[in-house]
Amino acid sequence: MFRRTVMAGIVAASLAASATVCAADETTLRFRLGEDPETLYNVQSISLTVSQVLGTYLLDRLVYLDGEGQPAPWLAESWEVSDDQRVVTFTLVEGILFHDGTPLDAEAVKFHFDAVRDPANASPLLPLIGPLEAVEVLDPRRVRFSFSEPYAPFFNILAQGQFGINSPTAVQEHGNLYGRNPVGTGPYRLASWLPGTEIVLERNPDYRQLRSDAVNPGAPHAERIVLSVISEDGVALAALETGELTSAALQADSIDRFVDDPAFNLVIDRNVRNLVFLEFNQRRAPFDDPAFRRAIAHAIDREAAVQAAWSGYAAPALGPLATGIPGYDAAVSEAYGAHFDPALAQELLTELGWTAASGNGVLTKDGQEARFLVRSYSGFVHIERTLAVIQSNLADIGIRADLELSDWGAFYPSLLANDWDMDLMRWTWNDPNVLTSLFRSPGHREALLADPAIDEVLDRCDQLADPVVRADCVSEAQKLLLEATTIVPILSNWNVIASQANVRDYTLDFLGNLIPGDVWIEN
Amino acid sequence: MSTYILRRLLLLVPVILGILFVTFLIKALIPTDAVTALYEGQVTERDAAEAIAAIRAKYNLDRPWHEQFALYVLNAAQGDLGESVRTRRPVLDEIGFRYLNTLKLTFAALAISIVIGVLTGILAAYKRDTWLDVTAMTVSLFGISMPAFFFGLVLILVFSVWLQWLPVIPQGPLALLLPALTLGLIEAAPLARITRSGMIEVLSSDYIRAARAKGVGETTILFAHALPNALLAVVTIIGLQIGSLLGGAFIIEVVFGWPGIGELAVKAIQWRDFVITQAVILVGAGTYVLVNLLVDILYTWIDPRIDYQSS
Repeated sequence: MFRRTVMAGIVAASLAASATVCAADETTLRFRLGEDPETLYNVQSISLTVSQVLGTYLLDRLVYLDGEGQPAPWLAESWEVSDDQRVVTFTLVEGILFHDGTPLDAEAVKFHFDAVRDPANASPLLPLIGPLEAVEVLDPRRVRFSFSEPYAPFFNILAQGQFGINSPTAVQEHGNLYGRNPVGTGPYRLASWLPGTEIVLERNPDYRQLRSDAVNPGAPHAERIVLSVISEDGVALAALETGELTSAALQADSIDRFVDDPAFNLVIDRNVRNLVFLEFNQRRAPFDDPAFRRAIAHAIDREAAVQAAWSGYAAPALGPLATGIPGYDAAVSEAYGAHFDPALAQELLTELGWTAASGNGVLTKDGQEARFLVRSYSGFVHIERTLAVIQSNLADIGIRADLELSDWGAFYPSLLANDWDMDLMRWTWNDPNVLTSLFRSPGHREALLADPAIDEVLDRCDQLADPVVRADCVSEAQKLLLEATTIVPILSNWNVIASQANVRDYTLDFLGNLIPGDVWIEN
Repeated sequence: MSTYILRRLLLLVPVILGILFVTFLIKALIPTDAVTALYEGQVTERDAAEAIAAIRAKYNLDRPWHEQFALYVLNAAQGDLGESVRTRRPVLDEIGFRYLNTLKLTFAALAISIVIGVLTGILAAYKRDTWLDVTAMTVSLFGISMPAFFFGLVLILVFSVWLQWLPVIPQGPLALLLPALTLGLIEAAPLARITRSGMIEVLSSDYIRAARAKGVGETTILFAHALPNALLAVVTIIGLQIGSLLGGAFIIEVVFGWPGIGELAVKAIQWRDFVITQAVILVGAGTYVLVNLLVDILYTWIDPRIDYQSS
């Protein structure tokens, strides 16, 4: 359940303890970008940075996700879904203009989706629109989407920055250069972009805030927003300390520095869509046996992983869906998830015929040692620390885990081969169809044995556009995946942001994006 | 001399072709490419199969590698270094302004390293075996051992966070100061040691003793008589340092967020975007070769006895 993260109403007696080098303009906010967006034309990119910059500041969407993760009206004031769930007709809000004065109408919406579907663009967004067949303009305010079959993730997809609506006039005018000159209907418009250095945004004074999860119903408070490209975390922290950054996301190791400092406020977004989990290569014994997988699952100490990898700023995960994905079922996770119980794990292994006969602490069965290869990707301290906990947990029950880390580019393709036993994976997605993508047999790395029951439920869920009916189906899918112990969910890390103490209404939406128009600075 | 220069410039062509060939070969051996990298950790390759095929076809990435190589060479000869799958823009547009930024950083750092390194070396040689000499050489040893990445972060901590003399996110020309200082100081270290060695050798020559006996001032002896003769070794090191500076610039650009080709190259490697990576390698290699040619020409100016033509 999403808890809206709101700034505590702490009134600082004075400004930041450390004096700022250059006193920032009070109506200019400065945020960090971890990398320069490669383009700001969403049709050309599926990158999270691009989606975030566009979706937070520049482009509005047809819908947003409310506190329950359900679609709420935004540029579309209402919609109708046909009985067969294959046709969705939106009615747009009247009188909205793009930053260049072009009216937002059905043509503009059609233009965007046609651009995604245009083979000449070879858009990376193509997989996201699923079985979309046609987008038709019924009148200036009504646009119809027709699918060849019901597409359940549609509304979740529409809420993402990748489907913010661009001004067709600007796209046609700028052509190949539109990616450097985005024009939307958002609360801010692009003032300038120094590639690799900063993006400067200026307030859209005519902005109408149509979202009911926003605090400020009118035009944005801050006059300017500067997005500084800072790739090094250490440099970003230094800029936060000196007051040059209004706020910055914190890595786990840095959080304690800011927790009790009255010069800063912490915003913790626990409604996240990432999941770290252990996968099994079911093509190799004994991982083809659900009982063996279950035993491993009971051996994993999630709390220890949360502490070691994220200094406590993460939540242990019992279920195969992250808590921030609509459809996550806490009751099912609790009832069917494998709770940490090493004694039970050992008991299950003994029942399966694994004994400590070798005397070196490693179990054996039929002459085979319980020694297995665990793969994962390098370059991330939290993955390494989680692996260390897993390795230790498995050693406690007599299983020896050999670790093999490589760059993602080498690691991910290597899982297609049949020469590994377990892998530690992390995936971020905002729709329950992630279960289908990853776990419908044969699985995203072709390592899963066929399971007709799971496959049938997953296929059914993806065809249910009605969120209530879909939620029931998704609960069932979670239950089946847990009963089969297809994976061992481990944790989801939180997003922790530190802001200067004089920042007010630092509001995050359901997807964890800032609502920038709300933010203001208290003198 | 002009024949010599022309010959050296023409030699650039096989060097570039060789580099291109090797990078294409490496690309062919790597299992993933820029297109699959687009979807990492978000959409599975199975779900994105149609889009992946379409993007590969658009950028000719579905052709055999020797065909891609031939196409690339033909286009490169006409000044077209391709379009990036990520940015969807011509690579030359991406690299153009960034290359200038890297040159700015490299030459600013070079200027700092020459001024500080050579002056320190001269002083250390002149005050040989004094506390000044020992201090200078100890500090230079520290500089040689110090990783550029770490030194950059230390300077930010000292000047921006503790002393607050400079902002962490500087604007305008000030943005070049810390990055150039970081790189320049590190590169000054070996330069100081080489200058000191060269100067010590020259200062013990007969003609220097004769100049002193004739009553010539020490400053004139140091800068007008000794230094020019010690310069040949120093200039050789400077020439070699360009390569080191370019490489160091890449690291410094990432630390300070300086928008040069180094920062782009790091991103391109993460993206597995070989079009950008190749272009950066080409530009880097071409720069290094051209700078070395300039250094060789500089030799003839320093020592007119050097004549490449006859060799």
